[in-house]
Amino acid sequence: MTTREIEHTADLGIEIETADLSGLFSEAAEALFGLVADSDDINPKEKIAVSAMGQGWEELFHAWLCELLAQFNLKGFGGKRCEIVSLLHERVEGLIWGECLDLERHRFYTEIKGVTYHDFKVWQEDGMWRARVIFDV
Amino acid sequence: MSRENTTAGDEIKLRRVAEWLWEIPRQGGMRVPGRIYASEELLPSLQDNNSMRQVMNVACLPGIVGYSLAMPDIHWGYGFPIGGVAAMDYDNGVISPGGVGYDINCGVRLVRTNLVFRDVEEKIPRLVEALFSSIPSGVGAHGAIPKISLGDERRLLREGARWAVGEGYGRQEDLEYMEEGGALQGADADLLSERALERGLRQVGTLGSGNHFLEIGRVEEIYRTREAEILGLFPDQLLVLIHTGSRGLGYQTCEDFLKVMNRATGKYQIDIPDRQLACTPVKSPEGQDYLAAMACAANYAWANRQVIMSQAEKAFIRVLGISPRELGFFLIYDVCHNIAKIEEHVVEGKPRRVCVHRKGATRAFPPNHPLIPKAYRQIGQPVLVPGDMGRYSFLLVGTETAMEATFGSTCHGAGRVMSRAQSRKISRGINIDQEMARRGVVARYQGRATMAEEMPHSYKDVAAVVETMERAGISKKVARFRPVGIIKG
Repeated sequence: MTTREIEHTADLGIEIETADLSGLFSEAAEALFGLVADSDDINPKEKIAVSAMGQGWEELFHAWLCELLAQFNLKGFGGKRCEIVSLLHERVEGLIWGECLDLERHRFYTEIKGVTYHDFKVWQEDGMWRARVIFDV
Repeated sequence: MSRENTTAGDEIKLRRVAEWLWEIPRQGGMRVPGRIYASEELLPSLQDNNSMRQVMNVACLPGIVGYSLAMPDIHWGYGFPIGGVAAMDYDNGVISPGGVGYDINCGVRLVRTNLVFRDVEEKIPRLVEALFSSIPSGVGAHGAIPKISLGDERRLLREGARWAVGEGYGRQEDLEYMEEGGALQGADADLLSERALERGLRQVGTLGSGNHFLEIGRVEEIYRTREAEILGLFPDQLLVLIHTGSRGLGYQTCEDFLKVMNRATGKYQIDIPDRQLACTPVKSPEGQDYLAAMACAANYAWANRQVIMSQAEKAFIRVLGISPRELGFFLIYDVCHNIAKIEEHVVEGKPRRVCVHRKGATRAFPPNHPLIPKAYRQIGQPVLVPGDMGRYSFLLVGTETAMEATFGSTCHGAGRVMSRAQSRKISRGINIDQEMARRGVVARYQGRATMAEEMPHSYKDVAAVVETMERAGISKKVARFRPVGIIKG
């Protein structure tokens, strides 16, 4: 399982590679929260359930990232660990462990404005699942 | 790379049209050629091809008129390049949220004061501290004002900056010095999702993160005396520059409408080279809905900048112990640089109604244009071009040439030259506070990572960018100012 940052001039991007599809969704969740704030400081004391719907793996993956971002934007929730509970072709359900972030205690990195479709891809290659996504920051 | 007539970054060929202008000839699915403003000095920053490819992609959109244009601060974005301008025929063209961006009506406003830098130099650290504590910045920051009600928010979305003035933030005359008077008509809050409305309730009066900032600057050089006088500028004057946009409400609106556009692109059988360019005919119900929702977010951004300006004025008065009259905190102008607007332009000698997308580009209307404030009619529309936080920013005015060549548009900033990851790497060996102090800037910020990504080495020299537009006749330099204090997220 690897996640690497894509070199993009204006924005931030990541490319993820995992052995299985549910790993792709959980790794992406942890990577996304790690871009917003330093995960080391996050205490995984609360558990929230997150779900998303989309047609096909690409749309589902995109909807999942948007939903995770909404957890931060609407509730201030920052995740540290993710577990995928159910993954069907049109719906994903997962559990996120983390806590509500606070400017005093947590180290924030950057505000993610959106999950763009530019160069966005979810694909299978050499037996591995891969995803590429660029966030507007 | 040939400096004569053509040049190529890998396989993309550029033909030189004029000293400051390069053309990507029509090829593949391009409906019009691409045109990029760049000096010899700036040209190497295009070599990675990504931004040029995006100029070509935009040229493929239905109804595009003239050229797919890029200003000299062009850099790789998503969908459109940042620094991109594209006008689509109103009757037969498309509108694309990717040509506006997530931060709808991200923009800049410039405020003048009666203060002279050397008289208040010692108080700059206290001013910066006061601004930092009264204007929330950073990731997820909440408003400088209490959470507003949903009813108030709906009024804000319709009235824009006028709502803020009505609530006691600023003065009625401020409204004259904003594009569209600080409110786009046709805003319909019923088109926004509950999530977008929810995100907007607490963020009025916040700067945000990334490249957003509030800067105290001093006038360092005046290039055109008459224009500067009309704009109320004098040497060594203290100014305030505010750069932010529509915050979470705008980002959510973009996200919501990208889904609508994804469906519309299929429904209207539009062939696009990049999914972020998802679009719909301007006149389609989806296009009209987007325009009305985009207007809400644009109005939110104007209200946001208005509240921030008012909070900044109060901080100045508090720290300096002077009256509003002595301070003279007056808005020079407020520009949008992420927007789509329905405008009239002359194309091939005939007036045409077009939807001008400006994604990281600024409107630059000429003297005597009816849409600019009466006080500025003789000099043209003010254009605000912030540089990086350690060097300088510029005030320009628009020209007739801009109307003829770029649908009345010019550059919006310095333009990044390196990725955020690269910037952080280079910044690792730098003590940011010492470096800013060495440059004479007092800086307060929430996140070191953001500062590391925004250090001056991350950007082109904005002087080269504005010089290109000056030489091309698109906009004229009026003044340059240097930062002395900055707050960032």
